[in-house]
Formats: sequence, C-alpha cells, structure tokens
Amino acid sequence: MNATPIPATDATPVAPPARPAAVDRTAASGRSHSARPVAVLVGSAVALLVVVAASLALGVRTIDPGEVWQALVAPDLADPDQAVVVQLRIPRTVIGLAAGLALGLAGTLIQGVTRNPIADPGLLGINAGASLAVVLCISLLGVTAPLGFIWFAFAGATVAAATVFAIGGARPVRLALVGAALTALLTPLIALVLLRDTEAFNQYRFWAVGSLTGRDLSTVAALWPFLAVGVVLAAVLAHRFNLLALGDDVAAALGQRVGVTRGAAGIALVLLCGTAVALAGPIALVGLVVPHAARRLVGSDYRWITALAVLLGPIMLLSADVIGRLVVPNSELEAGVVAAFLGAPMLIAIARSRRVAGL
Amino acid sequence: MAALRAGRASAEPGTRAVRSAGVAVAGPSADAAGVAAAVAAARGEDRRRRVLVVVVGAAVAAAVALAALSFGAAGVTPDRVLAVLLGGGDRIDRFVVFELRLPRILAALVVGVAFALAGAVFQATLRNPLASPDILGISAGASLGAVWAILGLGAGGAIVAGSAFGGGLVVAIVIWLAAWRRGLHGVRFVLVGVGMAYLCGSSVAWLLARAEVREAQTALHWTVGSVADVRGDELWLLAVGTAVCGAALVVLSKALRPLALGDDHARALGVRADAARVALLVVAVALVALATSVAGPVAFVALIAPAVARRLAGRGGAAIASAAVVGGVLTLGADVAGQFAIPGFTAPLGIVTGVIGAPYLLWLLARTERTRA
Repeated sequence: MNATPIPATDATPVAPPARPAAVDRTAASGRSHSARPVAVLVGSAVALLVVVAASLALGVRTIDPGEVWQALVAPDLADPDQAVVVQLRIPRTVIGLAAGLALGLAGTLIQGVTRNPIADPGLLGINAGASLAVVLCISLLGVTAPLGFIWFAFAGATVAAATVFAIGGARPVRLALVGAALTALLTPLIALVLLRDTEAFNQYRFWAVGSLTGRDLSTVAALWPFLAVGVVLAAVLAHRFNLLALGDDVAAALGQRVGVTRGAAGIALVLLCGTAVALAGPIALVGLVVPHAARRLVGSDYRWITALAVLLGPIMLLSADVIGRLVVPNSELEAGVVAAFLGAPMLIAIARSRRVAGL
Repeated sequence: MAALRAGRASAEPGTRAVRSAGVAVAGPSADAAGVAAAVAAARGEDRRRRVLVVVVGAAVAAAVALAALSFGAAGVTPDRVLAVLLGGGDRIDRFVVFELRLPRILAALVVGVAFALAGAVFQATLRNPLASPDILGISAGASLGAVWAILGLGAGGAIVAGSAFGGGLVVAIVIWLAAWRRGLHGVRFVLVGVGMAYLCGSSVAWLLARAEVREAQTALHWTVGSVADVRGDELWLLAVGTAVCGAALVVLSKALRPLALGDDHARALGVRADAARVALLVVAVALVALATSVAGPVAFVALIAPAVARRLAGRGGAAIASAAVVGGVLTLGADVAGQFAIPGFTAPLGIVTGVIGAPYLLWLLARTERTRA
C-alpha cells in the first residue's frame, strides 16, 4: 500500500521532471523549447473551430451552410431550418464546449492531484454522487425535466468530491482508493432506488447515458460562474503540479505548500466536475483521455497540459456529439455513448505508445 | 465484521513488537545477529497476524453460516436445523435446510471468495490498489454480455450466464491484446482496462435507455448481482471452478511477493515476471468470469475485500488467503443482512456488499491515515 501505485514503464522515468526534459530537447534541436507546444495549441484551436462549425452545420436535418450562417448573424425563427440552428444546435454546441472544457480540466487536475493514471471524475465517486442525487430527486421529488436535475447533480457531485477529499486527505493513493470506495458505496444505492421505482428508472436511464440535448442555454447561464472559478483556479495552479509530480517531499522541500495546492485543486475539481455532470450527465472517458492525450502531445509540463486540456476537452465531446448525429440514419446516438467509443481506442493508443504516462 | 475488527485489535501488540524491533535495528548497538533476529521477529509477527485474520474470519463465516441456516421464511427453528445437520429431521426440514438455505449460503460464500481472490491477484500483479475486475472492465464486459442477451435476444437462464461469461472473457482478451507490447506493463493494462470498463458501462447504459422499461429493469437487476437463485449444477460448477482456481493460485502465489517489488527485482530473484503475471491473471479472469456468470457482477467485492484484508493483515504484500476469507465473510454477511436485517425488506447481494463493505473500507482508510501518518 505504501509503494507507489504506478510502476515505471519501459523507457520513461516515473516522474519526468518537466524543465530538464525541455532543456534537453532545446539543446538537441537548437529550437526554442516551446515551439512544439505552441504549434500543438494552435492546431488544436483550429480543430476546435472546425468542430464547432461542424456542430452548427451538421445534423439529422440537412441545412444549407448559407442558412446556418444566416441563423448565426441574423436569425429568422420563422424559418424552420434557422430555428433548428438557433434553438437546438447553438445550445448543444455551447453546452458541449462548457462541459468538455470542465471535463478536460477536471481530469487534468485529478491526475495531477492523485498521481494515478486512471483517476477521473468517474472513479473519484463524483459521477456516482451526482447520479445518486439525480435519482433521489426524481424518485422523491418527482422532478422529470433534465433542467430540474442540474442543481441536484451539482450538489451531489460537490458533496461526493468533498467527502473524498475529507477522508482521502493529501495522500494520492488513499485519495484514489477513497474515491473508488465511495463509488462502490453509492452505485448500489442508486441501483436500489431504481429497482424499486420503475418510473424513476424510466427517467433516470436517459440522463445516465450522458447527452448534450434536452437542455437549453439557461443551464450554462446558471452554471458559468462555477465553471469560471474552476478554470481560473486550474490556470493558477497549473505550474504547481510540475513540482507535485516529483513527489510531495520534493515539492515541499522546494518551498511549495503542498497542502494549499491540493486544497485549491480540490475546490477547482469540485466546481468543474459539478458543472460538467450538471450540464451533460455522467460522461465517461473524456476526463480520462484528455490529460493523457495532452501529455502525449506537449510533454510533461503541466502548464502546457492544462492549456491544451482546455481545447481538447471540448473537441472530444463535441466531436462525439456530431458523430452521434450522423452515424444512425434519421436518429441520434447520445454524446456519452459516442464519447466512450471514441475514448476507449484513444486510450488504448495512448497506453500502447512508448511514452505512456508516468505521472 | 465486528469480530474481524476484534481480530485486528488483538493483533495490535504484534505490530508494536515489530515497531520496537525496528527501533532496535536503527539503534547504534545493533549488530548483525540483532538485525537478523529483529527481521525474523517482524516476519513472524506478520505471519501470525495473517493467520489470525484467516482463523478469525473463518470462525466468523462459520458462525454467520450457522445463523443463516437457522433463519428463513420457512420457519424451521434452530433446534430442528441442528437435528437435520446431525442426520435427523423430517423430510420437509431436510428439504428446507439442504435445498433452500444451504445452497444460498454456500453460493454467497464461494462468490465472495472467488471475487476476492481475483481482486487480490489483480491488485498485486498490476501493483495498483484500484486494479480490480470491477474497475478494469471485466465485470462490465460480463454485464454487457448479460444485458445484451436479456434485452437483445430476450434470453434467460443459461444463455444469459453464458453470454456474461463470454463478455467478461472477450473484454479480458481485448485488454490483453491491446496492453501487450513486448511484455505486460501494469500501467498499460490498467489504462486499457479502465477504457474498456467505461466503454462497456456506456453501452449498458445505452441498451438500458433503448429497451422497454420493465425489461430494462430486469436487466438492471442482473447487473446488481444476486445469489438468491444459485443452486444445483450452477453451484457445483461455481464451487469446483473456484476450488480449482484457488488451488492454482496457491501454487502460483509464490511469485506474487517478488512481483510486488517490481519486475526488475522479481527478475533478480529468479521470477520470470511476465510468465508469472500472465498465469496469475488468467486464473483471476477465470474466477471473475465464472462468479459473474453465476451471480452477476456482485458490486465491488473484488475491490473492497483485498483492500480490507491488507489493512487487517498488515503489510504482507499478497495476502491471498486473508483476502479470500474477508471476501467470503463480506458476501455471506451481506446476503444474510440483505434478507433479514430489515424486516419486510430484502435487497439483492450486490447492493448490500457495497453498502456494508464500502463504509467499512472508508472507515479503515480514515483510521489508518491517523495511525500511520
């Protein structure tokens, strides 16, 4: 139990120190050490724009790109095509952006704090907490609209995350284990309610798949302050994770207040995970894959990883949503399912790569 | 569980002896013989403590089993149960005890042992305390197989069990193929496994959302896990399979301790790390697939039981026997509690294991934080 849970992999040291690696590369190539990350960031920003455009332009209903543009600049809601863009596609795109951003950042923070490569909102008990709250609100209060779930989901997620941090404390292994134990406690409770209340199960099962539809922009309007605080905290903390990756003792010896970092990261996590699950339901794998993909693309410097996660999260979630609209004729697959089918092969590819992450 | 806790309490003096031995080692006057003696003493304490956990756990399991035999809707009282056990009793009593109560007790016990063994092997060979079959997608694969059979084929009984077995096995093979690259690396295996878990979990959620709500609820019930209907051939299959796998693990487990030190150390100690790990994991996957196909993916026993066992039995890296005992006690106790704890309310095994086991693990985690910090 006291041994580090992450064994060293073939060629990679367990905790690659960010700066020296970058310096080596500079010395070898003679280029500025930030050239590659900058290029990756620019490329990802372009990719995000493309995905957003696709999310606005593509769907079950074929709409002329000119109409889409018209709907964006001067919407005419009497036109059914433009109404679809304004009332359906814009909201789900914005929700996808916000939820993807929250998931990507949350995953990055969780892996930074726990130093466990499989830590994500699903494993830390956060999704389970949100799910239980939603189940109880359906079963006990008779709430039926996804809009009515958001505060329950948010509250459930925050309570679960706070519990995990309160019991798990500062030690990474323990934190991950406490999260898994909490999931093990809450998941059966959810099943218990669902087995006894068919009506609640009927409502819950559609929320539990994870989707960007059936919500409108008022959810984003209600939740953006939490998202904003989470993002700012994550941005401020990013550089601290570089030292934390070397181990608590080293970080402390180098003058970092480890407890403060973990506490602040915990607050950011709670806000981001709560926002994500309230917006889109429990979406699997985005929070897990994004930090690994980012690490693979820009190396081990958490400042770059965090910046990239902000872009990769929305790219992944929105792509999943767009693909879900196109794969089944005249119907849709929920973003949560498609994200899982996108994420699993990506995770396998990352796991098989030579530079599989040591955290 | 209470008795296990007592077992831990009575093992405390042992720990203190280890600590004082450690002090002796650190002291300036310690000579080589002193060090050797201290190490030997510490090892002895560790072993004694593990044996204690196993013995106390087995006693608790026996007591719970006897109590469970004496309760039930059929109203066969403890004295009549005793008579049946001693070879007497009338036909109806014998039927109730041997055909209704005993199979369920044995099933609960064996399922717990099987999951706990598998979890202990996974966690030890992959060196990640979260690496249990529940989290690595093997249980989720079995669930997907079963849910697909129930909702897609409209099947029941043996077909569902077979489909679950196949689902778990397919996921294990996929993880295997995807994670293998010039050897088996813990991180790769675990990452791919988690990916598969989410993939299967999302697919289950999607299937449940598409189906007719009553059928979906039936499928959901399967994914919770229960031993209420396990008897006859199924029980035999489960018991024999678990016994065979357990025996194989005992033989293979000599490799576990060096593996926990890391591949390089293990190799230096003469253990062929990959071969040993492959063999161990194959047996563990067989255990999970078997138990899941019979009882459903009883929630998180494979995660909780080894974690609890580690904290009860001290630092012995691969405490396979203690994990098995803790698993058996957990599932048997949970099944009994699910039937009788709240009058007029029954819950399937999979719900109660999580509700009892997880808080206990959380409590142990919170407690060791304070004492070992």
